[in-house]
Amino acid sequence: MSRTARDRETHAVGASVPRADGTPKVIGTARYVDDFPPMPGELFGLTVRSPVPRGLLNAVKFDPTFDWSDITVVRAEDVPVNVVALIAEDQPVLAARHLNHAYEPILLLACADKHKLLRAKQAISLDIEPLPPVLDPEAALQNAATIWGTDNVQKRYLITKGAADTPTPEDSLPAIDAALAACEVRVTGRYSTHHQEQLYIEPQGVIAWWDDKGVHATGSLQCPFYVHKAFLKAFGEDASRIHITQAVTGGGFGGKEEYPSIIALHAALLAKKSGRPVRMVYDRKEDIEATTKRHPTLCEIETGCDKDGTLRVLKMRVLMDGGAYVTLTPVVLSRGVLHAAGAYSWTDAHIEAAAVATNTPPNGAFRGFGAPQTIWAIERHIDKVARTLGMDPLDLKRKNVLTLGASTATGQVLHTSVAGVECLEKARAASEYDHKRALRSPPGSRKARGIGAAVFMHGAGFTGSGERYLKGKAAVDLLPGGKLLIRTASTDIGQGTETVFRQIAADAAGVPLANVDFAVPSTTVVPDSGPTVASRTVMVVGSIVESAARSVGDRVRAEQASSGGTYAEAADRLLAREGTVTSLLQYSPPDYVKWDDQRYKGDAYPCFGWACFIAEVEVDRDTFEVTVTDFWSATDVGKAINPVMCRGQIEGGALQAIGWALWEELVWKDGLIKNPRMTNYIVPTALDAPPFHTLLVEAPFSFGPGGGAKGIGELPMDGGAPAIAAAVEHALGFSLDDLPLTPERLFSKSLTKGASL
Amino acid sequence: MSIADLAHHSMWRPATLPELLTRLAERHAKTQSTILLAGGTDWVVEQELSPPHSDPAKLPLLADISRLEELRGIELTGSTLRIGAAATYLEMRRHPHIGQGDKRAALLARMAQDLGALQIQARGTLGGNLATGSPAADGVAALMAYDTTVVLQSTRGERKVPITAYQTGYKRSVREGDEVITAFEIDLPARYSWYWRKVGTRRAQSISKVALAAVAVVDSGKLTRVGLGMASVAPVTAPLQNTRTLLLSTPIADLTRDSLAAAVRSDCAPIDDVRSTREYREHCARVVVHDFCRQLGAPV
Amino acid sequence: MKLTLTINGAPREVEASPTARLLDVLRGPLALTGSKEGCGEGECGACTVLLDGDPVNACLVLAGQCEGREVITVEGLADGQSLTPLQRAFAEHGGAQCGICTPGMLVSATAYEKTHKSLVTLRESIAGNICRCTGYQRIVDSIERAGDADRTGTFGSVGA
Repeated sequence: MSRTARDRETHAVGASVPRADGTPKVIGTARYVDDFPPMPGELFGLTVRSPVPRGLLNAVKFDPTFDWSDITVVRAEDVPVNVVALIAEDQPVLAARHLNHAYEPILLLACADKHKLLRAKQAISLDIEPLPPVLDPEAALQNAATIWGTDNVQKRYLITKGAADTPTPEDSLPAIDAALAACEVRVTGRYSTHHQEQLYIEPQGVIAWWDDKGVHATGSLQCPFYVHKAFLKAFGEDASRIHITQAVTGGGFGGKEEYPSIIALHAALLAKKSGRPVRMVYDRKEDIEATTKRHPTLCEIETGCDKDGTLRVLKMRVLMDGGAYVTLTPVVLSRGVLHAAGAYSWTDAHIEAAAVATNTPPNGAFRGFGAPQTIWAIERHIDKVARTLGMDPLDLKRKNVLTLGASTATGQVLHTSVAGVECLEKARAASEYDHKRALRSPPGSRKARGIGAAVFMHGAGFTGSGERYLKGKAAVDLLPGGKLLIRTASTDIGQGTETVFRQIAADAAGVPLANVDFAVPSTTVVPDSGPTVASRTVMVVGSIVESAARSVGDRVRAEQASSGGTYAEAADRLLAREGTVTSLLQYSPPDYVKWDDQRYKGDAYPCFGWACFIAEVEVDRDTFEVTVTDFWSATDVGKAINPVMCRGQIEGGALQAIGWALWEELVWKDGLIKNPRMTNYIVPTALDAPPFHTLLVEAPFSFGPGGGAKGIGELPMDGGAPAIAAAVEHALGFSLDDLPLTPERLFSKSLTKGASL
Repeated sequence: MSIADLAHHSMWRPATLPELLTRLAERHAKTQSTILLAGGTDWVVEQELSPPHSDPAKLPLLADISRLEELRGIELTGSTLRIGAAATYLEMRRHPHIGQGDKRAALLARMAQDLGALQIQARGTLGGNLATGSPAADGVAALMAYDTTVVLQSTRGERKVPITAYQTGYKRSVREGDEVITAFEIDLPARYSWYWRKVGTRRAQSISKVALAAVAVVDSGKLTRVGLGMASVAPVTAPLQNTRTLLLSTPIADLTRDSLAAAVRSDCAPIDDVRSTREYREHCARVVVHDFCRQLGAPV
Repeated sequence: MKLTLTINGAPREVEASPTARLLDVLRGPLALTGSKEGCGEGECGACTVLLDGDPVNACLVLAGQCEGREVITVEGLADGQSLTPLQRAFAEHGGAQCGICTPGMLVSATAYEKTHKSLVTLRESIAGNICRCTGYQRIVDSIERAGDADRTGTFGSVGA
């Protein structure tokens, strides 16, 4: 699917063309869901939620003195099939009896008058018998109380390599222990990460209504076909009677991957019962409390290496907190475990992972999808190995980073598009890492300076056989005048899909960029391209778009060659003759991708993006406040279709990771969130963000569109936190294994004797 | 979302201060409550967070005082700086005696720079900051450092209260229901040092975990005037009286880390909350006072 | 009741409660939905508008407080059919991604360009506007580039 020698006259790919949706966004006319004017008869909907993390709902009482005549009420028994369709089908649309987490939806209310709606909520009381909640994942793993399935375990994985890859699984653990025992240097560590809220600036929202064509939902969402499938299950309607449309979406980061199914189901249930259109838009508090977050994760690592720093043996245990329901946890854990070995070569590996249920709101998709958690652990651990050996951490990473021909923990032999070394060297040189690393902050100074690096890779596209099963589709239509219309379910949630797909299609068809349009992603109009997730949009769906556009362009040119005239005239002739000219194609992954889903072996991803992030910090020795003074990165994107947008992805992802490392923290008490507000959940402002120095590296992936593009969406989320921690560690001189690195935690740590490096 | 209540209030925009005081007195006599609304940067947020009122007819009256001329000016007369209670932080930052020009009250501008961001600075006022009664009020800390006098008016007349006597407990004050904070009066020393340090949750849009404002006049190695105000370490803004006494009674060269730390500890009673911990706040209170004294030349 | 204010250069009369939030009056009766609500508590800045030239959070200002005053929203930045250099730069240089912070960000950047350059730094001028997409670097670049742009003879198209 790479570009052929028939190079077209247009060259949109590689140019930082302006955003296709830029003008409406800068003049304020871009229509987000809550910007749609009210539909005739529209009601506003809200959700009554569980105030306890675990309990039994005995009764719902409605104040008889309140006037309920114009309030629509939906309860669990009103849901045709009370399941949110996803992986495990364990999550009800509305809780009927068992309450498994705080903020779990119990009933829905709608009213035309918002003010009355709020008072209606006050007029409801819930009779709940509280049960002791399981909030700690380790306690959940011990199965002290069973809150999910038979043992609280939502998913397990085991990856073995080398000595640990024994014929019988029972022998694997003793084998890896024996391999470790044989190593010259052994290092152990324990690393933890915390929740993170996506905090897209536009809260979740949906408008739903029913008419003679069926049910409609328009909302802020990443994956219209997820919502479609959820409606199919819950309402049992025919697929053709379900119409899900993406409104302009104000950020997602995974938070609008699976969650919108729930709010859309709620709005559609209220709409069905009331016979009126229903709008539901969460306020910030509800959005932070009730929607999914990044999975907290604990990793225990033991490694063995040679005295010269050659890494040999990795033994790792990963425990993720899935929250009350499964949502996408098995996939998140999978991506986490597949990135757990980091960007390094290991002879022997034993990585076991489990995700458990707790009575906390379900955790779900968030940019990076489990990988930032395990990469945090392995990067911190490699830095610890370097300290043990007395080596510079970046030297140790340089020595062991995966190169062409090396094999990953799943035994995937890398034979294309490998740029770890190049990224490392470029970032190292640009940041003057070696010089700065050798500097020591003057002891009397109130400010301690530090520099630290993270080296990492991120698999592009779905894991293993995912794309093969998914069969993502996209279409390109020929329009009058030779224009093209791209139809895909891949949504633009800010990352620039609309613009980049147009660039790819324009070059593939050989038409000017202005002649390519992008259809609003609506399940009635576009084919199922698969979800907008997993760093797959440009690399996977973009390559379908490229092939489809090329095919349409070729047909027009063939017509032009046979009967003459301009390109536009040939297109019009073709359309007049054939009615519609469309290329609808399905993705087929490169043939070489071989994956064993049972044994977790083989080509986990068709390729990886690579990066090295280097953070420079200044830490106030008095208050332990960290200032990120500069941030350097070299990131391999395969081919930058739109360099400005690539930089935007990298810098935005890096800042989310920096935020996660330094400031962002959900404060929990008894299963409830104590800081569900933007004033207390602290994301960085422009004054907190460092200047970003972003280098793009291009190691083309021959199956990627535009001459080799790879996925870039998640990669930058992986390296920010470990780079910051390495820099803060360098500045302060004590080791940091747990996130977040708030001043309070750094202060406590500074008091702990024996923490010094 | 209970913001929906807001539109059910009544708003009254008095044209003059006497009009405000008269109606306020009448309503107070009838025990009717009145919200004096200036920038709204705290009060409107509180409405956002509170449950809907059961009876919208009983909502308090909103008096918009944000444009009342008598509450707005900033003037320097001799050494007295008078700041209208409804002057905004942005106006202070732009003022030729505060943030610009001779910057005689530069501490106020520096404090204002750290307060929220421009959008909040364009609305927020010192009067609102004091009236709201938050212990995290940066503006009140700065006023305390200047030993500011609070001017209160009612139909009964005017009275002046030292800022340290204004707050009587968490969200409680000496202000009566018919009184309005009209202005702050600051006696500016001819020459002085000032200090501002905010330890916040981030660089902007940040609520103080600890903030210290200080004003000091030094004469021959001794402090002849010291004013201190510390945010977020006690139920009300802390004047750090024991620390102040220590500073006034000890030559700068004789100040020690331990004596300062003991004084600060006795002046503070911070708590754990969602923004920080008691231990961290105690630590920060100590280190910022040390830093201030270090800047004055103390060997700490 | 009727409120009179100047919106984007034109006097407007609007039927609204004076104690409604300015943001609700803009987005509701005035149908100016460019100003967004991200938090409702003056933290995110997505609702930033200019009130008599200074940026304010429209979620914290009551409509009655704006009686007789001038409000400029993102819809009022462009001059007729032309994008301002700032708007153009945001579309061209990565200042806008998902776009939800963009209206407020542009309003703050406009205030910086017009009135606050001598008072605050560029980053300080947008510190009250939270962006979760860009990491701010492309926004800073966009504002700097707009400042460098030739201010005359700009042509653009609106509402394509």
